Amino acid sequence: MTIAETPRFVRADGPDKVTGSGRYTADMQLAGMLAAKFKFAEVAHARIVRLDISAARQIPGVLAVLTDDDVPDVRYSAGLADRTLFARDVVRYEGEVVAAVAATTKEAAQAAVDAIVVEYEPLPIVDDLEAATADGAVLVHPEWESYSASPGIPRDGNVASHSSVVRGDVVRGLSEADIVVTSRYVADGSHAAPIEPRAVVAQWEGDKVTIWSSTQVPFAARDGVCHTLGLPTNRVRVIVPHMGGGFGGKCGFHYEAHVAALARAARRPVKLVFTRREEFIAPDRRRESMIVDLTTGVKSDGTIVARRGHALLDNGAYTADSSFFPQLAVMHLAGPYVIPNVEIGAELVYTNHQPSGSVRAPTAPQATWARESHTDEVAAALGMDPVEFRLLNAVETGTVGPSGQTYDEIGLTDCIRKAVAASETAGPLADNEAVGVAVGWWPSIPAPSGAYVKIDGDGAGQIVTGAQECGTGSVMTLRQLAADELGMDPEEFQIVHQDTAVAPYDTGATGSQTLFNNGRAVIAAAGQIAEQLRELAADRLEASSADIVLSDGAAHVAGSPDRNVSIAKLARTASYCELLIGHGSGPPPSAPEISGATCAGDAGMAAWVAPQFSCHAARIRIDRDTGVVRVIRVDAVHDSGTIINPTGALGQVEGGVVMGIGQAISEGTVYGTDGRQRNPALLEYKLQTAADAPEIHTQFVEIFTPDAGPRGAKGIAEAPNVPTAAAIANAVTKLIGRPVSHLPMTPERVWEATR
Amino acid sequence: MTHEFELQVNGIAHPVDVDPSRSLLSVIRDEIGLTGTKEGCDDCECGACMVLLDGQPVNSCSYLAAQAEGRSVTTIEGIMNGDELAEIQKDMLDEGGVQCGFCTPGMIISATALFARNPDPTKDEIQIGLSGNLCRCTGYGRILEAMKHTAANRD
Repeated sequence: MTIAETPRFVRADGPDKVTGSGRYTADMQLAGMLAAKFKFAEVAHARIVRLDISAARQIPGVLAVLTDDDVPDVRYSAGLADRTLFARDVVRYEGEVVAAVAATTKEAAQAAVDAIVVEYEPLPIVDDLEAATADGAVLVHPEWESYSASPGIPRDGNVASHSSVVRGDVVRGLSEADIVVTSRYVADGSHAAPIEPRAVVAQWEGDKVTIWSSTQVPFAARDGVCHTLGLPTNRVRVIVPHMGGGFGGKCGFHYEAHVAALARAARRPVKLVFTRREEFIAPDRRRESMIVDLTTGVKSDGTIVARRGHALLDNGAYTADSSFFPQLAVMHLAGPYVIPNVEIGAELVYTNHQPSGSVRAPTAPQATWARESHTDEVAAALGMDPVEFRLLNAVETGTVGPSGQTYDEIGLTDCIRKAVAASETAGPLADNEAVGVAVGWWPSIPAPSGAYVKIDGDGAGQIVTGAQECGTGSVMTLRQLAADELGMDPEEFQIVHQDTAVAPYDTGATGSQTLFNNGRAVIAAAGQIAEQLRELAADRLEASSADIVLSDGAAHVAGSPDRNVSIAKLARTASYCELLIGHGSGPPPSAPEISGATCAGDAGMAAWVAPQFSCHAARIRIDRDTGVVRVIRVDAVHDSGTIINPTGALGQVEGGVVMGIGQAISEGTVYGTDGRQRNPALLEYKLQTAADAPEIHTQFVEIFTPDAGPRGAKGIAEAPNVPTAAAIANAVTKLIGRPVSHLPMTPERVWEATR
Repeated sequence: MTHEFELQVNGIAHPVDVDPSRSLLSVIRDEIGLTGTKEGCDDCECGACMVLLDGQPVNSCSYLAAQAEGRSVTTIEGIMNGDELAEIQKDMLDEGGVQCGFCTPGMIISATALFARNPDPTKDEIQIGLSGNLCRCTGYGRILEAMKHTAANRD
């Protein structure tokens, strides 16, 4: 099925968004609402010698000024509780919150922030990953023995988390190889950079607080508020209005508790809206910078026999949700290849940088860029075509991957062949053009998830779900799944979502998991109603309920289409007796087995449920005089299982590819020696524009995957961001004869590499 | 000292009385209450705040409200043809050009200005015409398809 032939979906929230009537969090106005502003550290590492808020409290219009003294003594964070709502004694990055102000106007709030006096005693800046892991390094958290942590979290100097996979005998494997290639790659950090800066509104009614937040994960945000402010979950309600993009940057619990605490202290509703600069420097969700070392041994026939690898990841000053990143990085350094002997490790290292966290496919674009660049280097050393080299070593159905997982039906080699074939249709290459190819993989994440479905007396459907809609399209797909289950039209369903007081739990718009898990929940909930409808129809049509078929808005007797009754009529009947209400969650698929590998620091990411595969072929043009790289065309082929909503899937691939182009050539955080960001603005941190957008040709290799999401679907939102930068890098290397070993491959770095 | 004047927005005269330093964006959003125009950067980089000023697209974050006195402002709320979506709005929906929707108002304003000055733009002209509006969701592909569709169906 080509994209052109597939049915078009129009988003249920679309009319709201094209007319400007849709309300985002920053658009909210409540009676008496105050404006919040934060006092940030603005230094990367220092001891607070004096913090004086007395002048700030005197500014007219200021109703609350809060510091660490005003909130419960609670540390938080997933995996490792290393942070507090407000800085306590020491600030560890420039965007750490020292104090918060609520005032009648933004101007008064800013004046109060400016009137807060903080005196610092500077501490040494920890900003070099290798120095931070050396003996005697200055510790970012000298007292972290006292923090609570999940089992398996080490407390070793500045190492916040580590992971390794060992399989076979890498020393012997390398000694038996005909050719051994060693590479080092360094990737700068980058940002999620949603166009909507985050916003939070909080309003108390008695002892209950309602929080509107531009969060991808309302339940995690709620739990963070409950934990830090000491409240039960039924007194904290988190609602997400329309949301202006997240890309992981709005995962996790962020500032909901600060705003709730301000609103309680001021006894008024409070709204926080970040500036673009604040969005760049403060949230604990930056894509981590990385240093990668890889050594691969191959036989002269091109077979990979061994790989040794190591990565250092910049955790920044606090652990957000990043504890599992080392294991993900290990999997990406190994890659979707058959490698019998593997010894790969990774460490997540504390520094005085902005904390890292889940940004769209965490660790993958950088690690894949390093691994796939290295792969082309190995192929070049063999004198082998890099595509042939990949096809020879790629995992296939039934093969055992580098972590010891045996794969069911998978389509990686199909992805490679199709991407390369498609790119070859684009005509001959000019002298300054080349095509680079790279593969990628990414897990689907099984997780608990719930939904309710009801059909009211007039036959109209309502889905109440914990799932999130941050632009990704669950408003389309969930309606379709419910409608298909009930033989109704998707247009007959409305969705109530992202309200923690109303809907059952869902993890949120994170880990490409909404369709994968909440789809299962919606189908289960709709399935209960389908059962009820069959019973009602069986009574009315004098047939067995097993013979009732739901389609076209009616219940029919199988084989006798004339014997039917509309679902609307059945719903009216039900409105006088047992109501049409379904609830569902369903057990998530369980993790596959691994064999023959030893995984230290296991975060459950060594074996992947319903793994997704991809291959991108990027055609680029280079200006050798300036080092400017222009991406002309990308052929993106994805095995994400069954594609349920083609419009949504295509949108995810195209968006992921262009984000990958940004990472490849223009997006990178620049730090000064003071540990502070030098480019926290869209003028200096360059996103790709419409004028930069290449032609993108997307294909899906649809393989039914058992034990996956609904109808054999896998995830799709993160995978497209995985191999693009790598494909571009391999094209650049073809043109200039050597890899640009530093990401992003800015004109300066490309130009340097040509010298 | 505040400045008292009438601001014409979407054909309606709104009396406003604001500090002369106030941006057009803040007055449209906070005084007039039209929140379809978004703030993404306050720095003329993202285009989410774009409005038409006498038909010309401007970043309202960096334009003083007082400068708009005596001129005609069109926001996203003024783009519909009566109760009907404008062609560009329909095409953005049909082609999948909308995801999170935060850039969408600015994108539609830019496109409206582009089509007004160039009724039959080429693909390159559309890409350049929209290059002041950042989108992080779509990779621009579906948006450009929508614009091409609108251009092709114009008389």
